[in-house]
Amino acid sequence: MSRQSADSIAAPDLADNVNPVTTGVSWRRVTAIARNAFREAVRDRVLYNLVVFVLLLITAAIFLGEISAGQEAKIIVDLGLSAILLFGVFIAIFVGVGLVYKEIERRTLYAILSKPIGRGEFLLGKYLGLCLTLLVNVAIMGAGVSLALVYVKRGWDPLVVRIWPAIFLIYLELAILTAVAMLFSAFSSPALSALLTFFVFVIGHFSADLKTLANSMGSAPTRWVFAGLYYLLPNLTNYNAITAAAHGQAPDGRAMLAAAGYGFIYVGVLLAATALIFSRRNLK
Amino acid sequence: MKRDYFLVLAIVVGLPAAALLTRWNDQHSDAPNEQFAEEQLYLNGPAMKRITLAFNGVAADWYWLKSLQYLGRKIVNYEDTHAGSFSLNNLSSLDLRLLPSLLRMTTTLDPQFLEPYYYGAFILPDLNPDEAISLLNQGIAANPDKWRLYQHLGYIYWQRGDYHKASEVYAAGARIPGAPPWMTAISARMKAEGGAAQAAREMYIHLSEASDDANVKEMVKTQLMRLDSIEERDRIRRVLSDFSKRTGHCASSWKEISSALPAAGLRISETGAPLDPGGVPYKLTKEGCDVDLDENSPVPHR
Repeated sequence: MSRQSADSIAAPDLADNVNPVTTGVSWRRVTAIARNAFREAVRDRVLYNLVVFVLLLITAAIFLGEISAGQEAKIIVDLGLSAILLFGVFIAIFVGVGLVYKEIERRTLYAILSKPIGRGEFLLGKYLGLCLTLLVNVAIMGAGVSLALVYVKRGWDPLVVRIWPAIFLIYLELAILTAVAMLFSAFSSPALSALLTFFVFVIGHFSADLKTLANSMGSAPTRWVFAGLYYLLPNLTNYNAITAAAHGQAPDGRAMLAAAGYGFIYVGVLLAATALIFSRRNLK
Repeated sequence: MKRDYFLVLAIVVGLPAAALLTRWNDQHSDAPNEQFAEEQLYLNGPAMKRITLAFNGVAADWYWLKSLQYLGRKIVNYEDTHAGSFSLNNLSSLDLRLLPSLLRMTTTLDPQFLEPYYYGAFILPDLNPDEAISLLNQGIAANPDKWRLYQHLGYIYWQRGDYHKASEVYAAGARIPGAPPWMTAISARMKAEGGAAQAAREMYIHLSEASDDANVKEMVKTQLMRLDSIEERDRIRRVLSDFSKRTGHCASSWKEISSALPAAGLRISETGAPLDPGGVPYKLTKEGCDVDLDENSPVPHR
């Protein structure tokens, strides 16, 4: 974020808030920061990955018919949704860890925080900005997969609609990962934060194994450690519906609601922890 | 500006040079991939499923495409070395030792992916019937509501001559909601007359009707021709037997019995020889006392 944009965030709110730092979260300021974080991501050519994605899908749609023995629709869904998740994970990790770090490195953070903006508001705005970027990214990619399905099926197919619950779950998973990336970046370097976030992504998909380990361990302390890890780390298997979506199966409403609720609570906890760490960080 | 020319030149010259070098290397190396082509997979299915995280579906697709390419490559190699077209009846002559592992990996990564089970049911019985049965049982365990898996499993048991087990499997499949009524009928027929030609004919027809796969339909077509040919040869043998009883010797050529063959419902060629369902004349064997398919006939022996 440039100094100019940092000024433009705070300026409209100064008139509204006599002492905004102490009066809780101002959604106008948060929205302004989020909007700027989104613009910054666009300026940083984050959405260029869409070009790669489109090329991947076009190539797959054209050539799969010849080599997949009639399974091109399934493969398009698997490939498309996996690519959405993979590209999304890269964006969430590499952009997420730099959200705060870049502002400190360029010293634009001082300009922003000298305005009546709380550190929590700044973090929340940055987080929502990246979530908006991911939303645009995921929505465009999802539409691309739907179009590719229309192409390979030579017309309408129920899969075109049935993949969207899985896409929504992917988005929720990315929202959690973004919050994880921000948490790590609040107290460590970008490289280490990226590595740790990637580990969380991997371990998050091993949740079922953690639970099995917790149940199968002989000693009570070891059982508690694994049970603790199971409940502490994000359970990302809740968001894995790609394979089922490829068979036209969507998770039921209750599972979707539970996944959304879990994601909302987990992101809330992560952002609160990030804000807590960041508010105590010495920025001098 | 001058430096830019050098950079453009480096790209324009460098890329084709790298491509040419790769081509030269391909032509002069000992195809290192060939020696690893038949190497067993390093990881088992459950381990691979864990490693692939949320990407198990796309990994299953990868192994599915690999299985198809594996068989395709084997067929191409067979045709190159045998100077002829490959028939699916010759599957056992291909060395497909890696195919069961590839299919097992595919179905472990995505147990709801039905096509590999059908493909395995079609290809594996000629190579390793136990592996085919195991794969189908795995498919049924993961997809207990898919009656076509029972149909394929029943077909494999029938091929092995285990009509009682085939009947049981068809009966189990018939109990699944949405299963066609003929599953019950086939189950009963398997129990009563599993080895009879009519039972086989019905089973092949239903197998073809239930499948979208062109290979399955082609296989059924040739198997129905084989059944037709078995019946035709029985009729020809009766004609030959009548002739030898009447004359005291076997027929020296088809011409001697050419008038009796159409009366027995057989098509004959211009030379008087009976034609098999593939349109190729049958040949006289055992000095005119028996009949068999010609070597060039498209009708399979089994």
